[in-house]
Amino acid sequence: MVEKGARQLRDHVDNVNALNVFPVPDGDTGTNMNLTLTSGVEELRRRPSEHIGKAAEALAKGLLMGARGNSGVILSQLFRGFAKSAADRASIDTVQFAAALQHGVDLAYKAVVKPVEGTILTVSKEAAKHAVQQAKRTTDLAELMGAVRQQGQEALSRTPDLLPVLKQVGVVDAGGQGLLYIYEGFWQALLDGGEEPLYSDPAAGGQTNPLQMPSAVHAHSSAHTSAEPSRAQAKLATEDIEFGYCTEFMVVFNDQGRKAFDEGDFRRELSRFGDSLLVVADEDLVKVHIHAEYPGSVMNHAMQYGALSRIKIENMREQHSHILLEEAAELQGQGQKEEASSVSTSAAQGLKPYGFVAVSAGAGISKIMTSLGVDQVLHGGQTMNPSTEDIVNAVARVQARTVFVLPNNSNIILAAQQAVDLVDGKKLIVIPTKSIPQGIAAVIAYREGASADVNAEAMEQAIGQVQSGLVTYAVRDTQMEGIDIRQGDYLALHNGSMAAAAPDLLTVSQRLIDRLVEDGAEIVTVYAGEEAAEEQTHLLVRYIEETYKEIEVEVHSGGQPLYYYIISAE
Amino acid sequence: MGQVRVITDSTADIPAELRERLNIEVVPLKVHFGTETYKDGVDLSPEAFFDKLASFPSLPTTSQPSPQEFVEVYKRLAAATDAGIVSIHLSSALSGTYQSAVLSASLLEEQADLAVVDSRSASYGIGTLAVAAAEAAQAGKSKEDIVALVEKLRREMRLYFLVDTLEYLQKGGRIGKAAALVGSLLNIKPILSISDEGEVYSVDKVRGHKKAMARIIELLQADFAGTPIHVTVAHANTLASADELSGLLKQHFEVKSMLYTTIGSVIGTHAGPGAVAAFVTPAT
Repeated sequence: MVEKGARQLRDHVDNVNALNVFPVPDGDTGTNMNLTLTSGVEELRRRPSEHIGKAAEALAKGLLMGARGNSGVILSQLFRGFAKSAADRASIDTVQFAAALQHGVDLAYKAVVKPVEGTILTVSKEAAKHAVQQAKRTTDLAELMGAVRQQGQEALSRTPDLLPVLKQVGVVDAGGQGLLYIYEGFWQALLDGGEEPLYSDPAAGGQTNPLQMPSAVHAHSSAHTSAEPSRAQAKLATEDIEFGYCTEFMVVFNDQGRKAFDEGDFRRELSRFGDSLLVVADEDLVKVHIHAEYPGSVMNHAMQYGALSRIKIENMREQHSHILLEEAAELQGQGQKEEASSVSTSAAQGLKPYGFVAVSAGAGISKIMTSLGVDQVLHGGQTMNPSTEDIVNAVARVQARTVFVLPNNSNIILAAQQAVDLVDGKKLIVIPTKSIPQGIAAVIAYREGASADVNAEAMEQAIGQVQSGLVTYAVRDTQMEGIDIRQGDYLALHNGSMAAAAPDLLTVSQRLIDRLVEDGAEIVTVYAGEEAAEEQTHLLVRYIEETYKEIEVEVHSGGQPLYYYIISAE
Repeated sequence: MGQVRVITDSTADIPAELRERLNIEVVPLKVHFGTETYKDGVDLSPEAFFDKLASFPSLPTTSQPSPQEFVEVYKRLAAATDAGIVSIHLSSALSGTYQSAVLSASLLEEQADLAVVDSRSASYGIGTLAVAAAEAAQAGKSKEDIVALVEKLRREMRLYFLVDTLEYLQKGGRIGKAAALVGSLLNIKPILSISDEGEVYSVDKVRGHKKAMARIIELLQADFAGTPIHVTVAHANTLASADELSGLLKQHFEVKSMLYTTIGSVIGTHAGPGAVAAFVTPAT
């Protein structure tokens, strides 16, 4: 029954939408929760069981590995607690179910260093509390779940009262909303009594692949200002899909290949054609997965390297299943297997004492990190946070006894911390870096020969000595920290807080610089994003040089999406 | 009874005037630009060297003095004094010069009363020791006392240096434990020093020139806060950096003496133009 519920849930998981609390285009809560949950369901499918405890354990394990973003991590803890509580139960009654929910809440609160009310935590807490009360009055699980859902809905609607930032922007909490959709899925499944879903969503035809969620999230954040679940998907229109065809094929290298294959170049070339690109190569062939608007162009390009094989193209505008995610997982699995074999061959060469895993955004920043000695760079950042499993795998690939993990984003820190317990045979230390500048400062602070503790302390200290600035754009009208913001305005964030907003990129960037160097700085580093025009960057650098003559300025191409500039002052 | 004579090599970067006044004998290393060979500091001045370095298409190489060259110097000095010779040389971890000197000493057997000292340092890190040894010699100290003094001073001395790029250290194979910093895309300035074993290592690393200078001051404060000091600033064709560093030192310390010197062609080959170094000893 739980499995049925989970399946039902999966069908509704696309309803999980994010409400951008911040007007910057990083609303990825929906994506993160969705991918987290999908990982749980995958695991459950691999190990189906009629035994509630065993099924819940499988689900929880999958969630734990797939946890992405803060909401994803909290979600995984909710289910982990549930699974622990229900571990020995072949079936479950309402009292036990409620107790399991409550146990999940307890665990989630413990997992978060500083629990914030008005979030998914509050929604889960109030729902579980209500469940414990209601469980005494009913033996019908569906009825109980209905009550849980009802109470969760009420708690959700109160989140703006608890968290000022929500009220200011006029939304309910995104993570809480996500959880509520999940509860709703459970409830529907229980009502259906284990039959195939009766509940069919009118907007299901327009549902996109989970990997498309970021665009959907952005499209709806402005409209979705109250907790009305059905509204959110009604707008999940097919035209939101920018790249309409999920395209997969293999290229078998042969003598007819006119170009020598280089994986990095190949990936860069293909990235022009679409998104969600996955490239897995070995000596003989390369497997490609991409969402593209013109799959023919992609294949024409790839044919320069050899013969095409196993071509599969799906029209995602028609499709509303999740085949793709499974394929992506399979592709990823394949990649990991290959990497795993390389791990075992080089294991004999011995481990170095320390290694680094860092999360990056943009090719330029990744390159800089590699040049600083980072062993594994995980691509992530705003719209696609790496999961706990991604981090575990990256750590596994580093040939070192102690691995420092730099999340470089406040939304990835929890997922990284969760990885600590999942890594075997290595010590994993998370340095809680919230930005790329902090991450880079931390790597530079590393000293060979010093102990892990001394290094961790030096790195944490270095984080405090760097000012981080970001320049991006607003996805909707709002007011933040007393600053009026119009959709399309450029925004500057200083250490995560709003610093400036204006319709002109240079003005915003200059005001940000003024803030960053306010307390004294000796060097300013500008990482230009993929959308930053060279001329603009040049003007900005000239401004710094002319206004602050004693400050050294460095400019690097960061290549990061969404952020015109990432700036550090230290 | 005569005075002890002090010998060093050209990598000690001792200014000519001081060298002559203290009667320090200098054995030159060699620098090779392609097929042309120059004696360090003898037929190639630091200024001429850096001009040539800028215009020459590839990097020069360097070589130690031959044992025969040492033998000749030792014989000449042994004939001139009966008080013994102290011969102080470039770190054995960086060069074969010390090895060559030791070999010559063994060839001479009893013909010279000779102590060969591994400075485990470079540039004016050797110079500091040689100058102190020569001053002690002029004051009539014995060979044994001078060797003990040199060892004590070596322990008290601190040296930090900055290079414009690690490229020269790397290409010349003298990078030691600072190797991990090569190839960084950011302008990271390692604060370099020479370890007790005489190897180049990176004490710390910071972003940018200014922070690097400030960090050197901080590091020196750990050892010399409140203590009067003697300072020598050595630079490779970068007087502005030398002025900046000496200015900061005067600002933060009670500087009893401030000496400038230029980095010669052999050290210059491995540190590269733009290198600047501070050699500090307590003035007590």
